[in-house]
Amino acid sequence: MLDGAETRTLLSVRNLSVMAGDRTILDGISFDLQPRRILSVIGESGSGKTVLARTLASWLSPPLRVSGGTVLFQGRDLLADPTHARSLSGREIAYVGGNPAGALDPTMTVGAQLVEKLRAVRPDIPAAKARDKAIQLLKAVRIPAAERRFNEYPFQYSGGMMQRAMIVDALISDPALLIADNITQPLDVTVAAQILKLMRDLNAEFSTAILFICSSLPVACDASDEVMVLHKGRVVERQTPAALIASPQHGYTYALIAELPTLWQGGPDRRRRVPATERPIMSVRGVSKAYETRGKSGKALVQAVRNADFDVFAGDNFGIVGESGCGKSSLMRLLTGLERPDGGRILFKGEDVGTASRKRLRELRREFQLVLQDPYGSLPPQSAIGAILEEPLKIHRIGTRAERRDRARAVMSEVGLHPGLYESLPTGLSAGQRQRLNVARAMILEPDLLIMDETLSALDQTEQGKLLDLFERLQARHGFTYIFISHDLTMVRQVCSRIAVMYLGEAVEVAPNDRLFFDPGHPYTRGLLSAAPTLEPRRYRPEDCLLEGEPPSPIDLPPGCAFASRCPHAFDRCRAENPALLSRGGQALAACFLNEPHEATHV
Amino acid sequence: MFILRFLARRLFQGAIIVFLVSALIFTLLRVVPGDPVRLMAGGMAPEALIEQIAADMGLRDPIWQQFGRYIGGVVQGDLGQSFVRPANGAAVGGASFDDTTRSERAEVLALIADTAPMTLQLALLAMVFALVIAVPVGVWGGLHPGGWPDRMALYLSSLFVSLPNFWLGIVLALILSVKLQLMPAIGYKGFAYTILPALVLAIEIAPFLIRTLTVSVAGVMGQTFIDIARVRGLTRNQIVFRHALKNSSIPLLNLIGVQFSMLLGGVLVIEFIFDYPGLGLLTINAVMQRDFPLIQGIAIVTAAAFVLINIIVDLVATTIDPRLEY
Repeated sequence: MLDGAETRTLLSVRNLSVMAGDRTILDGISFDLQPRRILSVIGESGSGKTVLARTLASWLSPPLRVSGGTVLFQGRDLLADPTHARSLSGREIAYVGGNPAGALDPTMTVGAQLVEKLRAVRPDIPAAKARDKAIQLLKAVRIPAAERRFNEYPFQYSGGMMQRAMIVDALISDPALLIADNITQPLDVTVAAQILKLMRDLNAEFSTAILFICSSLPVACDASDEVMVLHKGRVVERQTPAALIASPQHGYTYALIAELPTLWQGGPDRRRRVPATERPIMSVRGVSKAYETRGKSGKALVQAVRNADFDVFAGDNFGIVGESGCGKSSLMRLLTGLERPDGGRILFKGEDVGTASRKRLRELRREFQLVLQDPYGSLPPQSAIGAILEEPLKIHRIGTRAERRDRARAVMSEVGLHPGLYESLPTGLSAGQRQRLNVARAMILEPDLLIMDETLSALDQTEQGKLLDLFERLQARHGFTYIFISHDLTMVRQVCSRIAVMYLGEAVEVAPNDRLFFDPGHPYTRGLLSAAPTLEPRRYRPEDCLLEGEPPSPIDLPPGCAFASRCPHAFDRCRAENPALLSRGGQALAACFLNEPHEATHV
Repeated sequence: MFILRFLARRLFQGAIIVFLVSALIFTLLRVVPGDPVRLMAGGMAPEALIEQIAADMGLRDPIWQQFGRYIGGVVQGDLGQSFVRPANGAAVGGASFDDTTRSERAEVLALIADTAPMTLQLALLAMVFALVIAVPVGVWGGLHPGGWPDRMALYLSSLFVSLPNFWLGIVLALILSVKLQLMPAIGYKGFAYTILPALVLAIEIAPFLIRTLTVSVAGVMGQTFIDIARVRGLTRNQIVFRHALKNSSIPLLNLIGVQFSMLLGGVLVIEFIFDYPGLGLLTINAVMQRDFPLIQGIAIVTAAAFVLINIIVDLVATTIDPRLEY
């Protein structure tokens, strides 16, 4: 029996250690993987997950080097025989990375590259057969119109489709082991959920063992048969998902589960207890914006924002959520007056931002400020931190030099940056510190409204929590109003009192926090909730709500409801007529015909 | 469909460019000092005759009228006649005012048609030589950024770029033609006469090509799809020759377009040194003789060539990289 078990083990890693220079990255990793099993590897950034993936894929580059251990694949040691390992890569051991966008040659069609790869590792397969197999697999990963897509270029694929194509690329040679390194990370939640479902289906169909590397515990638990936790280069535990959540063995896992934000159950909660005032500080009234691009047949209009309509109350936390391409960032540019709307009005304290003169707009900007997503690109690398902070004051001609310096130091200590950093460059700051600096720069003018455009997206769980605490303190002290623009449902669940859900440029639902999560009025919101990564028992099951396909292009919008093409409940009227945002009582609005009382249909 | 729309748009833009160039050259030539009629008729011709010739040729009309007449001819393919060159090609300039050959002045189009192929031949050969030098050196350097092939590419480029072309031309003529007697140097009596000037031009162009290639190959080799291609199971040769080279060829192609246009427009010094009967030599003589129609004709033809080369380059670039379809 023991012999049988030995031969059945596909991958057997023993005491694997990897060093970078004299720093230990992986420290005595040992585990086994049976055929057809899915094993998740989870850990925070820097725990060695990706190095493990690359070691197994024979893809280590200096200064990383294996300093000990064995990696037995189908009984042969890959580390002892690099030539053998090399011959396996792409054939028996396939790898899919987290950056599908740059993974294929932009100058060749996807199909040609799939065929090229298959024939590189399996020269015995004739080209025509390789082509048939690629198309068959593209169909299996549910790429629509696979024959046509086969002849398209990578830039014609969306992120989600490209990741499917990369999965095809990995599976096309019928590998025994698939290493999936953070494959869902860059994708939107609904698309990521589709990819995970797809991966499990393929696992059952093609009997490939999968090593699923991931930084999100809910995703890892969702995806796999077993979860292995890496911490500081060591395996600290390995259990089935259910057992891991029920009784984590290691302190790190325990903390990870404890600080995981929740959607429906109690958890960290930073929502405003005091009911917000009903006095709007910013009102968005029927705002729309279209951009002109060159389409296939000459010029085309991209309708980035369509008829957005909501109020933000003073002292409130307002959330705007939606997936990439839904018009969040275009809306942000309109709200801050960086661009002017084509139609509708944006009122800030009763004054129209969309039509204000440049001079007036600059004065208004003292009162509303923007904090951006990218902690690295948003700070000038050659200015000292003090100078960065004082610049807004200089622009608005506020205070003397000494006053400005005192103000900068005060703000620094308020956001938790050591005032000793005043003279230093932002180069050495971590992502979290950089976002603190960005917040400090925005609040130095003492604005009333802060617009946070994905401000926390680049930060890890712990750092996000710290910054949210900071925002709460600042709000209590200065009475800020926040608009959080985000794709992250768990984040807005924690902090916002009212949330707008955007889909293809429209606000399809605007509702108070609890109402949105417990009684959503739009099928898209339900779809988002069903796909959100969480360990909780779901209120909305993916089987009922998960959206098939991807959003249509904002260039050729179909008539009727933009969501009809993905909606499980769509009926004829949805394809002919676009529902308006209507009240469902108690400040909740949704744009869906299903909410209409039947007698009011023709009002 | 895309190709037709693209061509229509670009050719229309090109026509405007050529028109503007000819208007500019035409105006500038007529405001610079020096009366071409005096040169044509000869120093001894009486003032009245000169005025008469000038009036006959329309040279005393307002500039816009002259230009209108000229451009009307250009549209019909008539670039006018040279002021000074006789059709039989015997003598240059009017030695005396009653020279009978004066009435049979050479057609500008014919003059250009005789010399342009020579320059085209020179430019093509120079480009071939330059690519033969630059591609291996540049690609090799780009595949080993920071390594010795990269440094060698840099040193070779620095050396080439710092050699003055007139000096190099003379030295090479001295070594290859006079000492070793490998090839002819001066004048033109056959294809062999093109080799030496082309070599000098190639050495002048090669550094730019080498630099562009090293930078773009190194850039492409650092991209994700190259990095990941190895894990996907592609061989090193497939990665380099099918993917890296194709992707790094776009900047090279653009540079080749620009360099080739410059070669066609004026290899003045080289053609002059080697007495090579191309457009460059024709230009030098036309300028020295104030042969306005010829200068204008050359300017229009080179501008048109520039436009066409750019259209071809962009067209080839879009077939290499479909993202460039604009």
